[in-house]
Amino acid sequence: MYKTLIGVLAALLFALALVGLSFSSSTQGRPDFRFVNGTEAASLDPHLLTGQPEGRLALAVFEGLTRTDAKTLMPAPGMAERWDVSEDQTEYVFHIRKNARWTDGTPVTAHDFAYSFERALSSSTGCEYAYILYMIRHAEAFNTYEGRALALLTTLPEVLAKLKDISGAEWQTFLSEHHVHDAAKGAPQAIVAEVLGLKSSGPTAAQRAAFSQALRTYGEQLSRAFRIAKERFGKSEGMYARGDHEFVVQLNAPTAYFLEIMAFYTALPVPRWVVEKAENANDWFIPGKLVSNGPFRIESWVVNDRVRLVKNEDYWGKDRVKLESVEALALENVTTALNLYVTGEVDWLPDLYPKDLVDELKTRPDFYKNPGWVTYFYRFNTERAPFKDRRVRQAINLAIDRQLLVGQVLRLGQLPAYQFVPPGVPGYPRPETQLGYDVPRAQALLAEAGYPGGAGIDEIGLLYNTDQSHKKIAEFVADQLRRNLGIRIKAYNQEWQSFLQTTRTMDFDMARAAWIGDYLDPNTFLDMWITNGGNNQTGFSSPKYDLLLRAGANIVTALANPAPLREAVHDKQRFDQLLAELAGAAAPARVEKLSQLRLLLLSEAERLLVHEEFPVLPVYFYVVSGLVREDVGGFYNQLELPDGSKAANVTDHHPLDEIFKKVGP
Amino acid sequence: MKSSRKWGLNVRQVAASSEDTTRGRDGLKQHWLDHVRTWHVVLAAGSVAGLLLWMAGRAIGILETTALVLGIATAAGTAWIPDRVLRYLGPVLLGALLLAMLRPVWGTWVAATVAMIGLGVSYRYVAARVLRRITFMLPSLVLLIFVTTLLMYNAPGNPFAQERAATAQVEEALRAQYGVPKSAVEFFSVYIERLVVDGELGPSLKVRGRSVIDLLAPAFPVSMALGILALVLSVVIGLALGIRAGLKPNSAADHGSMLLALVGISLPNFVIGAGLMIVLALSWRILPVAGWGGYSHLLMPALTLALPYAAYIARLARSGTIEVMQQDFIRTARAKGLPGHAIILKHALKGILLPVVSFLGPAAAGIMTGSFVVETLFGIPGMGQWFVKGAINRDYSVVLGTAIIYTLLVTSFNLFVDLAYAWLDPRVRKQL
Repeated sequence: MYKTLIGVLAALLFALALVGLSFSSSTQGRPDFRFVNGTEAASLDPHLLTGQPEGRLALAVFEGLTRTDAKTLMPAPGMAERWDVSEDQTEYVFHIRKNARWTDGTPVTAHDFAYSFERALSSSTGCEYAYILYMIRHAEAFNTYEGRALALLTTLPEVLAKLKDISGAEWQTFLSEHHVHDAAKGAPQAIVAEVLGLKSSGPTAAQRAAFSQALRTYGEQLSRAFRIAKERFGKSEGMYARGDHEFVVQLNAPTAYFLEIMAFYTALPVPRWVVEKAENANDWFIPGKLVSNGPFRIESWVVNDRVRLVKNEDYWGKDRVKLESVEALALENVTTALNLYVTGEVDWLPDLYPKDLVDELKTRPDFYKNPGWVTYFYRFNTERAPFKDRRVRQAINLAIDRQLLVGQVLRLGQLPAYQFVPPGVPGYPRPETQLGYDVPRAQALLAEAGYPGGAGIDEIGLLYNTDQSHKKIAEFVADQLRRNLGIRIKAYNQEWQSFLQTTRTMDFDMARAAWIGDYLDPNTFLDMWITNGGNNQTGFSSPKYDLLLRAGANIVTALANPAPLREAVHDKQRFDQLLAELAGAAAPARVEKLSQLRLLLLSEAERLLVHEEFPVLPVYFYVVSGLVREDVGGFYNQLELPDGSKAANVTDHHPLDEIFKKVGP
Repeated sequence: MKSSRKWGLNVRQVAASSEDTTRGRDGLKQHWLDHVRTWHVVLAAGSVAGLLLWMAGRAIGILETTALVLGIATAAGTAWIPDRVLRYLGPVLLGALLLAMLRPVWGTWVAATVAMIGLGVSYRYVAARVLRRITFMLPSLVLLIFVTTLLMYNAPGNPFAQERAATAQVEEALRAQYGVPKSAVEFFSVYIERLVVDGELGPSLKVRGRSVIDLLAPAFPVSMALGILALVLSVVIGLALGIRAGLKPNSAADHGSMLLALVGISLPNFVIGAGLMIVLALSWRILPVAGWGGYSHLLMPALTLALPYAAYIARLARSGTIEVMQQDFIRTARAKGLPGHAIILKHALKGILLPVVSFLGPAAAGIMTGSFVVETLFGIPGMGQWFVKGAINRDYSVVLGTAIIYTLLVTSFNLFVDLAYAWLDPRVRKQL
């Protein structure tokens, strides 16, 4: 009687049967093109996207007014077959293609864009990238003024009225808890800036009353502006549909990168009749429900595994699309990703390989690299000793041998950063810098600040988020500071969400960060340093800087009163010269001059960061690198610009609609 | 000993009385412990508990602490419910649990039918001991949800925090859209309401547009297929190695297989997995290096998962074999001239299996909910990733969903193990 044995064997067989039942072998063949897409796409709703993996997919299945040309990465006609621009370059009329169709057969119309822009900017959507459309008239008012006015007129006066005398630190906590900075952003009254900036002691009762009053006044202004925006935006001003095939967009000021933004995912159209169906709330973009208008359709989407795209036969430019099927793998493990590439399972591996293998990989013929549009830096907490003293911040900036770091540690040809904006913006005069590697000068500055040889400085914490490569860099920086300045310093790490909270509440001495530019303009790197900006997180505040940035955002209005700008600018000669040229320029040249002036002002703002105030320690500019199989065509690492010149593909963006597989040897 | 007398004794006497009552005060010098009375201990323990409660109240709030204490008391209290009450309460709770579990998958009506059948069957046929464990499950699940919520809310960060600061309005819009209030208690009530009324685990807060069920439902069969295969492999390898080793203790075969087991236990599975990858996929190219889709994708990850478990099972089986082989009934079997394999497979196997089976319960729950390491290494869309990703992203509903599923699996597998025990060991059967 082998009862037990039979029982065990039966159990094992039953288990194996279960494996067979629960496992379904898929029979889909190898697609024409397969690439590693990093983390699982969190959404495909163009208005809720923030990450690169989502962006790649969204741009493959949707198309905006313009699309990005693969060869030049410049805007090319997309859903709009052409556009007219007004003489002052503030009004665009887009002519929507008559043969543009959604995948369900509905024609794409100007109304779809009016709806989509309104949805992106509506405060209830929760679009984190809404600010990217703020160059459109009324867009900012439509997006944020209602909520801010509500806070300024009702909640804030109430909580302020209950407030007793408190200390400066408690006051700052109070401000951030109630998002006062957010609500009061841009308030013109002097008292607001003064009271918001109180740090050593809280506001007195009189100050609170004046502050409250000023906020109310500002709230009423915002409320009025919102009412106007609500009435006109999407209907007669800002942006609106004129008939089915004409879409009008009015800008606050000429904006060089506006057409680029129209190809960006926040400006993609969404199908209203699908999005607004009740049963589709939150998941209208999953296969089976999704209706799209781009070069590809989604065939299947296995969460945490892959998204399979197939060519959209209804797409107006389908002749351009060579790939019949594409797979985007959701894969975070860089070693696995490289293994798949090496064994021939994937065709393109963007940046997701183990960086320790750089030396082995960079000699391969299928390896590519380009300077990236990303800055790696450390924030100083300028509200804490010893970083309150800008000489200390400069000393630290001068004591790091960035050349050694990029040459020995990173080894991929990264550029040492002595400015904050990475190189690559055409026409942008990069500011002169006080950063570099000069140990004697650094030591002298430190001594001047009252810390000779690092004496008198408590141990400094160098915070980074948990990651091997950040750790290496932090250890390097700490070692340099110890050796060159005698500062006691400890590198320590925190898990991502804790790190975010710590940096946001500014509970650090120095903290690691990186910033990826959203569009090819210095503004994307500079507007984070405005006073109390959500991404500032250094305590850095300079009225001059804020003035220059505001002027950069709306140059026409700012030039109505050039005197304070001239005051803020360092290179007054150039400023006067450009202003004079502008006065004498006719319409088309005028736009060009305005753009030059604007870039000069931004450059002057950056100069404050790297020549005078040093709120950050820029370390290096990224290199984007990856592996792409040699039989992949239509993949441009070197862009071929229309004027015949070459430029690097700094964003590592490769539109899928022009990629193809070369046949033959 | 009666409790009234216990109060009078000092601590040492209580301790001593359990082992040897005759060795009392004689010959012992006065020691400070002799002056400690039981009520002293109770007082001290009470104050420590009070202090802890007070600290908890400060840290997480009075309301939360009270709820926590009540929850623990209720869950623990199920141990004292009389059998007659259990006969009714158990089946009702089982029915409720079945309804809650099956409704998201099969819809209200099917789930209700199954729940009613479960209720009836358990009332008529299931032993009181089993009913007590079922009764324990529901309050402990609620407690689990509550504690997890508290922990998540007290961890730094929130599901909507990103590197680029969003405005207050964006965060508020998202909080409203996804039903995530700012206080833990409010979230708990929203969550429980959704669970009970709608029978849903809620939307994922990070993977927008997907509910927790959308994420876990396709991942579960993947992890299950992989887990079961790994379990089968580990049982086969483990038993073979362990029995072989246990038959001739201290022989070369024994040392060899135990060394192998030691290696299996000590090597982390990313090393085992990488080793297998290098040999089977990169050098020999007989298996795909990673990915999911065909049966060939199953083997390497299953083997990687199985080896540490196989090693444990081998050690358990070895000690089981050594012990069983010294028993009288084995000697009898030998005396009657049975061949070696018959002795092992017919008579010894039961005894060898007992320790293995008790290990298999929790192991099965663990292995079937997937492994983060193995899944990321081989690029497999299984459950394991959600345990880690949910926590890293502060995706509250995913964290709760995985915690609930894991708890249900562990408790039910433990129940299965007890039943298997009953089958293997008649002494246990009587207790059940």
